[in-house]
Amino acid sequence: MLRFTLERFAGMVVTMLLVSVMVFLIMEIPPGDYADRYAFRKYSGTGVNVTEADIEAIRRDLGLDKPMLLRYFDWIGGIVLRGDFGQAFAFETSVTKVIGDKVWLTAGILFSTLLLTYLVSIPIGIYAAVRRGSAVDYGLTVFSYLGLALPNFLLALVMLYFANRWFGADIGGLFSDQYRDAPWSLAKAWDMAKHLWLPAVVLAWSAVAYQIQTVRATMSDELNKLSVTAARARGVPEMKLLVKYPARLAINPVVSTIGFDVNRIFSELPIVAVVLGLTELGELLLRAYLDLDMNVAGAILLLLTFAIVFMNFVSDLLLAWLDPRIKLGV
Amino acid sequence: MSKMLSVENLSISFRTDEGVITPVQGVTFSVESGRTLGLVGESGSGKSISTKALMQLLPGSAVLGADSRMTYTDKSGKEIALGHMKHGSKELRRIRGGEIGMIFQEPMASFSPVYTIGNQMMEAIMLHRGLKKREAREYAIEMLNKVGISNAAARVDQYPHELSGGMRQRAMIALTLSAGPALLIADEPTTALDVTIQAQVLDLMRDLQRELGMGMIFITHDLGVIAQIADDVAVMYLGTIVERGPAKEVIRNPQHPYTQGLLDAIPSLDHLHDRLKPVPGDIPSPTARPKGCPFHTRCAQAISGTCDVQEPQETSPLPGRAVRCWLHETKSRSAA
Ligand SMILES: Nc1ncnc2c1ncn2[C@@H]1O[C@H](COP(=O)(O)OP(=O)(O)OP(=O)(O)O)[C@@H](O)[C@H]1O
Ligand SMILES: [Mg+2]
Repeated sequence: MLRFTLERFAGMVVTMLLVSVMVFLIMEIPPGDYADRYAFRKYSGTGVNVTEADIEAIRRDLGLDKPMLLRYFDWIGGIVLRGDFGQAFAFETSVTKVIGDKVWLTAGILFSTLLLTYLVSIPIGIYAAVRRGSAVDYGLTVFSYLGLALPNFLLALVMLYFANRWFGADIGGLFSDQYRDAPWSLAKAWDMAKHLWLPAVVLAWSAVAYQIQTVRATMSDELNKLSVTAARARGVPEMKLLVKYPARLAINPVVSTIGFDVNRIFSELPIVAVVLGLTELGELLLRAYLDLDMNVAGAILLLLTFAIVFMNFVSDLLLAWLDPRIKLGV
Repeated sequence: MSKMLSVENLSISFRTDEGVITPVQGVTFSVESGRTLGLVGESGSGKSISTKALMQLLPGSAVLGADSRMTYTDKSGKEIALGHMKHGSKELRRIRGGEIGMIFQEPMASFSPVYTIGNQMMEAIMLHRGLKKREAREYAIEMLNKVGISNAAARVDQYPHELSGGMRQRAMIALTLSAGPALLIADEPTTALDVTIQAQVLDLMRDLQRELGMGMIFITHDLGVIAQIADDVAVMYLGTIVERGPAKEVIRNPQHPYTQGLLDAIPSLDHLHDRLKPVPGDIPSPTARPKGCPFHTRCAQAISGTCDVQEPQETSPLPGRAVRCWLHETKSRSAA
């Protein structure tokens, strides 16, 4: 397992490097750069005539005139060595300041959504497969179709309405008023947890519906395996049998798509965030793109892709742990 | 010698989308302790489901006939009605594995691929022998040794796919026997193996059965294998047992036309130049079970007006033998 882990870890580092190059190139693709943008912003409508030379000067100021390769190494070096994502042009401060708290909030939403998705869908999918054809099974199937058909933002609105009625007005956003600008503390974290469940439920909804069906299908296959009958014929207690033999393999497709789920949740985040009044990275990413504020956009893209690559690494390790044949290369 | 298992009038139906089918009808057989019953018949004749019914391993769509009786006498001499135990009950779990062990046709598929051989053996040993982990491991190694697996101390930590087919079936035998069953059901345990390995595994099973004094039900579609391993035989056709009796006698002097056909179909060294004579015709599907004697559609000696109208009852043309065939029923009736 150690060797397998090291191999996959090396693979992850290489992937992250390649991904960083790609992100950098993506930042380079839009026509024009922040120097153009800045000049346009600052001088349009003022009647001042901006020359090429002025823009060049701005470019030199911002360090955008250096060769691409050099700029890449400056950028990635700063991130890796100093955790410095560079200057957020549009905000006239550092990227780290701009994305700061939003990173942790977004990560919090991502992880609680993932956790909620798996904690709900895996046991229910297993149960549906074991009780295949029962009323509960049919009920779950109907729920799954509903879950897949219902748009996220609509669900968010509905949930917001009911949450307001049942739990009081203070449910939108991620913090209660008294904690919004307070420094981090246990009380603030608890306050966040109390707010986190709503976006997590909204974002997990469709994934839960989808993963229930996935687990149900693979679990049904696994239940029909001879090895399960054989274990039953040896008198293994049913509960232990289900967990040890079929369920362990049935969650394989769920585990192998963790990275994909991270990506999906992040894509769905902005619209839900708008409805629920959250501040998170997705919306900032869109804004940064429009502003050609490429250091901010790049930082967010890089963090997201790193998160996905890292979760793929975790999913690889989990898969190998679930099915040792993977690391034995069979 | 005493009967350890007696099955009477076993019928098994399945509710399917096309309606109810009854692939096993009125099966009666018994197993004497310390003896091997060979259950022989073509594919689809109901051998596997009959034995699965004993362990309550049939799917939820299966229904047992109302007057089906399966009585098992356990190691302590207590009589137990099989087929009606509560799901998840301690009693059922004790019977499964601890009293009746089962070996399947596919040694690869019977093991879970994600646990070591030792893990799966120790699980059974701890369940049925109440040993602690370390002792269970010792015992597992001992059992692997017993079934002729060399370097058992290393093999115990290997995964099933690291063993060859023959070794895997040996390991499966070790696993099943490590729970200490009094009755072993072997469902075509050698069919998936090479011929030479088949013979070795067959020898091993016979030796172990004698050494441990177990009763055994050995399922096969090959009467040749029956001759090697079984004391008694029951010949199954389309869900009914058409002939049963001591294996040697049945093979020497078969009474049912179907048994005769199966024996003619065995290639023999003395007659290598003769052409094989498989039983003519195809086995009808359980959804289209023929009226009357199920075998009459393929029987050269069928009496029209009798065999295709009514099902024959079991008669005893010779001491210790039982046949379901109108040829014998009319004979015994005219003699009376
Ligand atoms: N789950 C099921 N649902 C419906 N019918 C079934 C089911 N399982 C078995 N059967 C029917 O029972 C018949 C007997 O099956 P069984 O597996 O006992 O045959 P077998 O004698 O063991 O054959 P083989 O030599 O191929 O293993 C099959 O032909 C099939 O039609
Ligand atoms: Mg079978």
